[in-house]
Amino acid sequence: MAWSASKIFATFIEDSLENTAAYDLNTDAIKIALYNNTTAPDNTVATATRAYDTGVWATANEVYDGAEWPQTGQALAGVDLTVAAAVIKFDATDEVSDGTSATLANVYGCLIYDDAVGDSGICYNYFGGVQSV
Amino acid sequence: MTVPILAPAHREWYCPKCHKTDVTTDLHGGKPHTRFHTCPKLGFLTAPMLPVGTKGKLEAHEREDYVGRELVRLDANNRPIMNVVTTRDNGTDTTVYAPTATGRGDA
Repeated sequence: MAWSASKIFATFIEDSLENTAAYDLNTDAIKIALYNNTTAPDNTVATATRAYDTGVWATANEVYDGAEWPQTGQALAGVDLTVAAAVIKFDATDEVSDGTSATLANVYGCLIYDDAVGDSGICYNYFGGVQSV
Repeated sequence: MTVPILAPAHREWYCPKCHKTDVTTDLHGGKPHTRFHTCPKLGFLTAPMLPVGTKGKLEAHEREDYVGRELVRLDANNRPIMNVVTTRDNGTDTTVYAPTATGRGDA
């Protein structure tokens, strides 16, 4: 099944609550990597297959462009975890290409992962259709 | 002793849609940056501006897929917008409004 929605990985929540992995979303190095439509995301996969370069998040499906948008993705700045009423929100500064002439084709979504904890996937975001630049 | 004061470089911007103009100083350490603004001609989306002297156009594109429970960006007309594409003489830029990834916990 192709991209259809944006989800948090269930095992990310489980591993956090069970202290299986020591995530710190306010201070860890969090990265964003782009993917094509060969990727078929699933938020119910096991921990081992939600990390960057595992399962559907293999580099074969990744979209990148040298230093403009490097392979393994770009680091998110301003990451912050906040709680308001019954909503827990994880946000970051809008991410912009590191260069001025990126060529990125057939981008359908992204993987947000914790570079400090085994490249462990946190969530994926579907861009709603094909994107390119 | 006389201390020279170095004025930071500044950039002028404009919006080809609503014609708003703005000026930024180079406080990004020389890194590329783009000025954004809330554009009334693009349904009040947060849209990029163009450097003065660069011809181009801005176009908002609706989401191509079913919205379902996705928390998407809506414009002033409640249309789900997936991106704003800037088309310049020498290339394009894309501003993607990524939906929010969600998880649900039932009590």
